[in-house]
Parts: sequence; structure tokens; C-alpha cells
Amino acid sequence: MSEKKVIEEMDVKKMLKEYGIKVPNGILVTELPDSIGLDYPLVLKVSDPNILHKSDVGGVVLNIKNYEELNIKFMEMKNKFPNSKFLIESMEKPGIEIIIGLIRDATFGLSIMFGLGGIFTELYRDVSFRLVPIDDFDAREMIEEIKAKKIFEGFRGIRANKEVVIDLLLKVSSFGKDHYDTIDQLDLNPVIVRENDAVVVDAKLIMIIP
Amino acid sequence: MYEHLLHPESIAIIGASKDERKIGNVVLKNLLYYGYRGKIYPINPKNEVIFNMKTYSSIKEINDEIDLAVITLPAQLVPDSLEECVEKNVKYVIVIAGGFSETGKKGAELEKKILDIIKNSRTRVIGPNTVGVYLPRSNVSTALTLPDRTALPGEGNLAFISQSGALGLLTMDTISEYGVGVSAFINLGNRIDLSEIELLDYFEKDENTKSIVLYIENFKNGKEFFNIGKKINLKKPIVVLKAGRTAAGEKAASLHTGALATNDNVVDGAMKQAGIIRAYSETELIDYGRVLGYQKPLFGNRIAIITTAGGLGVITADYVSSDVNGVGLSLAKFSENTKKELRNVIVPFGSVENPVDLTADGSTEQYDKVLEILNNDENVDGIIVYALFQTAKVDESLIDVLERHMNGKPMVVGILGSLFGKKMLIEAEKRKIPAYPSMERTVKAMKVLYIRGKYLKGRNEK
Repeated sequence: MSEKKVIEEMDVKKMLKEYGIKVPNGILVTELPDSIGLDYPLVLKVSDPNILHKSDVGGVVLNIKNYEELNIKFMEMKNKFPNSKFLIESMEKPGIEIIIGLIRDATFGLSIMFGLGGIFTELYRDVSFRLVPIDDFDAREMIEEIKAKKIFEGFRGIRANKEVVIDLLLKVSSFGKDHYDTIDQLDLNPVIVRENDAVVVDAKLIMIIP
Repeated sequence: MYEHLLHPESIAIIGASKDERKIGNVVLKNLLYYGYRGKIYPINPKNEVIFNMKTYSSIKEINDEIDLAVITLPAQLVPDSLEECVEKNVKYVIVIAGGFSETGKKGAELEKKILDIIKNSRTRVIGPNTVGVYLPRSNVSTALTLPDRTALPGEGNLAFISQSGALGLLTMDTISEYGVGVSAFINLGNRIDLSEIELLDYFEKDENTKSIVLYIENFKNGKEFFNIGKKINLKKPIVVLKAGRTAAGEKAASLHTGALATNDNVVDGAMKQAGIIRAYSETELIDYGRVLGYQKPLFGNRIAIITTAGGLGVITADYVSSDVNGVGLSLAKFSENTKKELRNVIVPFGSVENPVDLTADGSTEQYDKVLEILNNDENVDGIIVYALFQTAKVDESLIDVLERHMNGKPMVVGILGSLFGKKMLIEAEKRKIPAYPSMERTVKAMKVLYIRGKYLKGRNEK
């Protein structure tokens, strides 16, 4: 029997970076250092393989504006999760939130998913799937297939670049292809898509340990 | 090598019987009824004469090569007779009996035994739990249905692979009404050996097959089906009716992606990626198989409509262009020249705008001219024609006109009505003109041509 293992967020992001996928600048710490070396505002997150859904347990603080505030929030967090590590990241400028994921299907093998982020994705199940690996045509079709596709076509002046999403889908597909037999599930949720780039703000990866 | 299955020169019926209630009797009767011209070897341990035919007590007694054997005996007797088939080097064996893995543990063990028997042999098994094959070109039916209560289709260009026997036979019975034919029908049953994947490979090369339609409840190997289907579909269109869409997924869903990945939306993604069209009913399965087999893909979304009945034009315009209760294509806007030319053909109170309305005054000649004009307008990608035979100036030769225009832009035909309409639908079918008895089915068939065109274009542009 194979085992499943949750990979630490920092490590997932390092892996993604190798594929040219953009992630926020960040540091992984157990204690608050004197100097952070990151641009404010910051995000503070608990980083613990046993805590998969951080925000559900109050493990995420957004929009920390200065070191003083960080200090207070860090203490609170440390009290709440005394045995965990913490990820401090620069907070990304807003954009359209999307979700990209990988999932192992019993008959079809590793599949890639695309949808808009946030609760509405789950509510409307407005997502599209393809099998790994995908090509440029598949990526385009995945975006075209969702009902909310208009958001990438200048809906109400929103500037979210479809081409960067296609590029990201292809990179995630490559990542999936290279780890075809060991990925159980991957969630990049949310990914912030802006006019010229896409940044993976949160990444969860479960791997199969043979 | 599949030739021995799909064009068998010799068939042995194991368990041939005089008793009209036995499967061995019905199968033999069907072989005779459908006029199989190859050699038939009934096997009956008591050597009774059945239907005036000499019988053999064992397959080993036959001094001939056997392409296909049909075991009509109950499940527990299957292993012994299958062993004899393997010894005799029979190429294909259809195991009709149910009572295997579909019934539980004991049946599953019996099934395992069958697999062990054919292991390392060249004998291939279809089934068990199958009605076998229906091959109109070879006049072979191993079905259990009674010929006087079941119509089976004539020769055609659809290869029909079905996991369910009854669904397959009922669908074939239904489509026979409109003269739709099949190149072959194969019921996979429990599919312990021969699977849809190999058959795709065969039908890709089969000249009589123009499209492949499948009824599938679960894929034997989804990834392999995808890989082979994707390759074959570029040359020969594949349509899949996949049942069990609503079955709960068995995946552990700890992340969002997992929770959103029901079995069916991964299936859906895989089919789209392979360009395989999905049908959601037996009617769609055959409708789509026909249009893809008979007509070229549509490489644009601008549709022209020709009708003699205004109401049909309006409803179809909605169906064509709406995203809600429609297929989301668009209505062609004709050039000024086209409208001028149409004006010369159609009565003054008719419409030269899309939908083109010839009115009840419309004639066969007008249909011909209008088709000609629209085929020459570069603003038109595909044409929906309602061939309505209920009025005086339209006659049977409209079918000839439509047949001629099969060379033109992708065209789908609607023929409504029962009295004469049905006759004309059958005539259209004979000439492989994709024609349908309702507006909705006509429009959906056009949409399928569009999906295929869009897919092929996208894949080739890469």
C-alpha cells in the first residue's frame, strides 16, 4: 500500500518556481526574525502538513502593514499553533482569482482542472478538466468551456490576461507530467491573474509515497 | 485477424437444441433466418438432427477450421466447452450466458476460470453475458431476440459497440424503422477479453465503417481508450454514450480539485480533449454517428436555414442561435447579391433574409436554386434545409436535389411528417443524406458537425 503525504507549502512553491510559475516572495520561520526583507503589506500563514485548510482554523492573516503589526499577529499565531512553522509572504496585488488543480482519476489517470476561484466555483461547479499532459489548444478550450469565460474577454473592463492563464496551465501540466505517478492532488487556489501575470498565492500538494 | 470475428467463414453453435425455448435453438434459428452463407456446425451431444441439419457431438469432431463458436450453454457448463474450443484452436468464442461476475463472488470465480482457460491461447472471448454480434454484411446474428418481433438494421456505415446487449438491440430495432444501417454490432457484455479499445482499432481500418458509436457504462481502461480514441477520431469520428454519469465518485476528496472532480467531468474533459462527441441518449448516439459519418465537418458557425414553412424557420433560428435551449451557433447574414438572386427565385411574399422562406408556393426547382445561391455565398458556413413534402410543388425528386448538394457546404436536412415524410426520410438515408424527423434533432446534428470542425481545426493549427 502506498502512503499519502502532504508537502509543506514552501516546498511546493519551490517546486513550482522551477517550472517558471510565479509565487510570492516569502520566508519560512519558527520565530519572528528581526529583519524580514520583504515588501509590506505581508501575509502570515501557519505552515503545517497537519493543517490542510489554514483559513478554516484562523491560520491566515492578511494585509499586515508594518513590523509592529506583524509582531502582534505573530505572537497570536504562535500561541494558537505553538508547534507549527509560519510562512511570511509579500501580499500580492489583487486581480481575478482562479483555481488550477491536478487530480488522479481511477480510470483516466492524472487530470488537470481549471475554474474561477472563490466559493462560486464550488457552488456552480463551473470547472473544466483535461488529461495530463495538455497542449496549447487544450488549455484554450479549458478556458472557453467555463461559463465565466467572459471575464477573460474584458468583461466590465476587468483586465485578466487569458494568455498568462494558458501559459500557467501548460506549466502545471508539465509539472504533472514530470511527477505523473506520484501526485495525488494539487490545488493552486487561489491564483491571482492580473493584466500581465499570474501568481500562485496558495498551493497544496499531496503526494503518493510508494 | 478480427476478420474471423466480423466476417466468419464458419460458425459452431455449442448447445444447439431442438427445444424452442433454449438459447441454442434461437441462435441457430437466427443464423438461418438472416441467411448466413458460411458453414454452420451445430453441436449437440445427442447428435439430434435440428432444422434438418447434421449435428456434432463435440467441436473436436469437426474436421474444419472454426472462426467463431457461440456457447449457448449455462454458465457452469461454459469452462468445459471453452476448453474444447481452445484445443480446437477456435479463433473467437462468444459466451452468451449470464451468471458471471455481474452476479457476485461465485460468478466472478467462474469468470476467472474462463480467463485462465484462454490464457496463452489464440482463442479470444466475447462476453460473457452478451448477445454477441450482429453483422449484416455477413448475415450473422447471434442475438436472442425473436426475428418476428425484432427488426434488425440492414447494411450501413455505423459500427456500433455496446456494453449492454438489450440497449444495443432495442436501439437497432428502433433505427431500422428509418432504414438506418450498421456495418457491425458487437455487444461486449462483461468484457473479460475483447474490449472496445481493440475494436476501435479494427473499425478505423474497416472501409464499410464511416463512424463508430459506443454505449459504455465503464471504460475498461480510460487512459488507453483516450489515447487510441484521440488518434482514431482524427480520421474517423467517434461518438460515446457514457452511462453512469451521476454515480458517486470514489475519490478521496480532501482538496478542492478533488471535490470538483466527479467521475463525469473528468470523462467529459477526456472526451473533449480527444474530440470524441458525447451523446446523452440512444437517439443522439445514432443521430450524431450518422451526421458525422455522412457529412463533412463544419468550419464556421454561420448557418443558413431554408424552409417552406415560416414557423419552422423561426423556431430553428432560435434553436440555432440561442445559448439557452439552443446550440449557440449564429445565423448567417447574406450578402446583398445573394438576396438579389434569391429575390429572383422566391415569390414576393417569401423571405430572402435568413431563414429563407419559400412559402407553401416553394417547389423542388426553387430548393435547388436557393441551395445553389447559398452555397456560393461566402457568409454561409452550413445549411439547414427543411424538405417538406406536404405541399403540391415539392416532389420526390427533391431528394435527388439534396443528394447533389451533398457536395456543397455541410448540410443537414429536416424532414417532418409521417405519411410521406417517413418514406422520404428512408430515401434520404439510402443516399446517406443526414436527415432527421424533428427540428431539434436537425439543429443538434448541425451543432455536432460544428464541434468536430472546431476540434479538427484547433488540433491542426497546433
